[in-house]
Amino acid sequence: MSNDKISAEVKKLAGELLESGKVSAVVGYAEGTLKGRVQTFIARKASETEKFIFNQNCANNLAVYLTKSYNIISAGKPVAVFLKPCDIKSVTALIQEHQLKREDIFIIGLSCQGVLNDSGPAGKCRACSMHNPQYYDALIGGVVEEKEPEVTDPFARVKEIESMTTSECWEFWMKEFDKCVRCYACRQACPLCYCEQCIVDKTRPRWIESSAHPIGNLGWHLIRAFHLAGRCIGCGECERVCHQNIPLSLLNMKMSKEIFDLYGYTAGMDEGAKPPLTEFKMEDNEEFIR
Amino acid sequence: MARIGVFVCHCGENIGRTVDCAAVAKRAALLRDVVYAVDYKYMCSDPGQNMIKDAIKEHNLSGVVVASCSPLMHEKTFRRTVTEAGMNPFLCEIANIREHCSWVHEDKPVATEKALDLIRVMVEKVKRDIPLDPIRIPVTKKALVIGGGIAGIQAALDIAEGGKEVILVEKSPSIGGHMAQLSETFPTLDCSQCILTPKMVSANTHKNIKLYTYSEIEKVSGYIGNFNVTIRKKARYIDETLCTGCGICQEKCPQKKIPSEFNEGLGMRKAIYVPFPQAVPNKPVIDREHCTKFINGKCGLCEKICGRKAVRFDQTDSFVNEEVGAIVVATGYDLYTIDKKTDETLKGYGEYGYGKYPDVVSGLQFERLVSASGPTYGELKRPSDGKVPETIVFIQCVGSRDEAKGVSYCSKICCMYTAKHTMLYKHKVHNGQAFVFYMDIRAGGKNYDEFVRRAIEEDGAVYLRGRVSKISEENGKLIVKGADTLSGAQVEISADMVVLATAISAQPDIVPLAQKLGVGYDQYHFLSEAHPKLRPVETNSAGIFLAGACQAPKDIPEAVAQASAAASKVLGLFSSLELEREPYVAKVNESTCVDCEFCLTACPYNAIERKEIKNRKGEVIKVVSHVNEGKCQGCGTCVSICRSKSIDLAGFTDEQVYSQINALFV
Repeated sequence: MSNDKISAEVKKLAGELLESGKVSAVVGYAEGTLKGRVQTFIARKASETEKFIFNQNCANNLAVYLTKSYNIISAGKPVAVFLKPCDIKSVTALIQEHQLKREDIFIIGLSCQGVLNDSGPAGKCRACSMHNPQYYDALIGGVVEEKEPEVTDPFARVKEIESMTTSECWEFWMKEFDKCVRCYACRQACPLCYCEQCIVDKTRPRWIESSAHPIGNLGWHLIRAFHLAGRCIGCGECERVCHQNIPLSLLNMKMSKEIFDLYGYTAGMDEGAKPPLTEFKMEDNEEFIR
Repeated sequence: MARIGVFVCHCGENIGRTVDCAAVAKRAALLRDVVYAVDYKYMCSDPGQNMIKDAIKEHNLSGVVVASCSPLMHEKTFRRTVTEAGMNPFLCEIANIREHCSWVHEDKPVATEKALDLIRVMVEKVKRDIPLDPIRIPVTKKALVIGGGIAGIQAALDIAEGGKEVILVEKSPSIGGHMAQLSETFPTLDCSQCILTPKMVSANTHKNIKLYTYSEIEKVSGYIGNFNVTIRKKARYIDETLCTGCGICQEKCPQKKIPSEFNEGLGMRKAIYVPFPQAVPNKPVIDREHCTKFINGKCGLCEKICGRKAVRFDQTDSFVNEEVGAIVVATGYDLYTIDKKTDETLKGYGEYGYGKYPDVVSGLQFERLVSASGPTYGELKRPSDGKVPETIVFIQCVGSRDEAKGVSYCSKICCMYTAKHTMLYKHKVHNGQAFVFYMDIRAGGKNYDEFVRRAIEEDGAVYLRGRVSKISEENGKLIVKGADTLSGAQVEISADMVVLATAISAQPDIVPLAQKLGVGYDQYHFLSEAHPKLRPVETNSAGIFLAGACQAPKDIPEAVAQASAAASKVLGLFSSLELEREPYVAKVNESTCVDCEFCLTACPYNAIERKEIKNRKGEVIKVVSHVNEGKCQGCGTCVSICRSKSIDLAGFTDEQVYSQINALFV
């Protein structure tokens, strides 16, 4: 289906949903101010839905707008939201962590052929094997054929880092962290960074040095990776929004790999599952205890 | 502005030997916010405590650090002291410079530096202490006693006599335990059954005791004062309310070749049986494994013959819930498995031929052979051919004090019961000769050594100090080869029977129960007391007490004494209207909690609940986690799992611990 055709479908459905009063708002994509960029657009009236589009530039994970601090969801009426298959995993995780109720949202599922970043297909899309939404209330773009991903090992990049010596690894990351200016865009873009008070903002005691110097940056990024361990669904928004181009997904994917190896658990797949790091089971792997 | 007082104790020589306490006090006085520091020989003594009280008033202290022994030892003491001076007890902290410093170091200058470090760390903590109030929780004034042996019976009777209700749970069909199996008891040789059975009857008939036999503990939840216990009543296949205990079913049951557990396999029982005639309750159970009706559905004779129609083949296990305020564990002991084949974890004593030669028996089997209620009605006949043994060899320490093949501990009762056995033997077989192989005679106790002397001097038992290397059979005789280390000679005795004083071991199924109760156990699975000297009947789980051989090998007087001690602890607990416990519980910051509920799953005590915050119209505006203070044990798991740091532990706040760690790096 062509981009225009899908965009037309998007506009139509959003219009119908608002017109009928079925939803209180629709969260979707609109053209950005620069060519090839899109922005988030929230329509509350049917007349505003003309702005909606969907194309391969729509990389943003709109699930972040469903968290409590955005306050878009009010009691009584659901909010419709455009979600790609990987974005739906964030919704699953938010439901699992009691941040969202399924009945409060109307999911407009978008089948997805992958999105683009500045240099071509996004890294996550090259290893993606889920092109159709897991669940939805309405589907746009029809069911597309699942194909073998171009990159078969999703952890290939992680393994490259793992093959480094400790000192090489340290050097690599300290160089990356040195670039961080602590703008916290990574945190703001992440649907699972929903805490009302982030640990980095806590002052009694101050757990993480707040100024942007390498040690404080190291603390921030490592603690963020630990806080997302077993929770990150790999949407890659943190890395996409980082204007210093720090490969943040690598940290989260490393944690995902550890969690998968230890507990056979993948985040964002089952809203009823207990997060593995919160739960004790007799059969838990304990080889790491020495 | 904090005004901290530091009190450095010498603990006699215990600390003073390795730490220069005077120098420590002098330097502590220079720490920021410390306004007074002093050292004294015994800070826990009356004059020592008065020094603290006086200083609080004189220097208007806002917090106290006592540098002394472990807080387990005297934290309570010193907190009471500061309370008497009008200070909140939780503004007093202990710097442990004994166990954590003087006892583990030798170099005095270095230990002195470390003592100062430990004090500096505690000064930082106490500065950030806030006054706390003890948590008050209600008490259910009903006790659970697990195990119906002599210890359990005694504990139950004492609590019941104290006017409180007791639930007594026994896993086998009758109460009585091992004591019911014994013939006579040392050091008085009075009949075991004669002193035990009246107590069994009292336990069954006492108005304050509810007895569950053939029952096990399925689940335990809750905490001191408020336990919730699920008891599994195993199917007896008998309606106990109808059964009169007439015994006709047992008489008629055609399955009669089942080794009797009560007689240690030396006698037989039926498939429907009462373990022994004096059993309490005198109600049979059906052994499903051996009953023909259950095997092929063909018999059912007991059902037909029962005049009260009390047999219920369709009965299933049932569950009862009981609320109790305290638990006494009195699960007793088992015997070390001598037979090599049956226990792979212990190497066993294959060379003694236990299980191979029928006339090699365990101590408990010998008890049955000389007991009036035993398979031979008290006539001593050896199991193989019923001959009266003329020569008998007793071997002590089979399994005990033997790290290579058994356990390292002393089983404590074997020296005494072997002496008793030689006497019982001599009293039954006047021309017989008893030989005892021993390692040492351990007969500490009132009239105990006199008892062993009597066995040797009056009843002629020959004691040989040494071990037995092998037992073999030759023409119906057991050839016992051993060493007499006192004369240096090799000994060979041609005996009719051999009795092995096998080691006492923990109950084989104690570990799952200990885990349900949250009670610690040692490497041999004996349950751990809270303090070996000062809190011997308490466990580290508040409200759970120990009685008898589940804790360590014990003889009857000791088991009874400990049972009464546990009962008095329970009654003491029940004498207060409410319990006070330390307020070290987690607290949720409701303004920052985002209800991810990770703490709910992570809490090992199920102490965290969801709490809805409502506005004035009654609408839910926020859901947060809430800590049930009665259940919270202050472990801190929730604190560490909370990403937004919305939970903190009162008395051990993040800020306190952080500042303590920082204090080490200044």
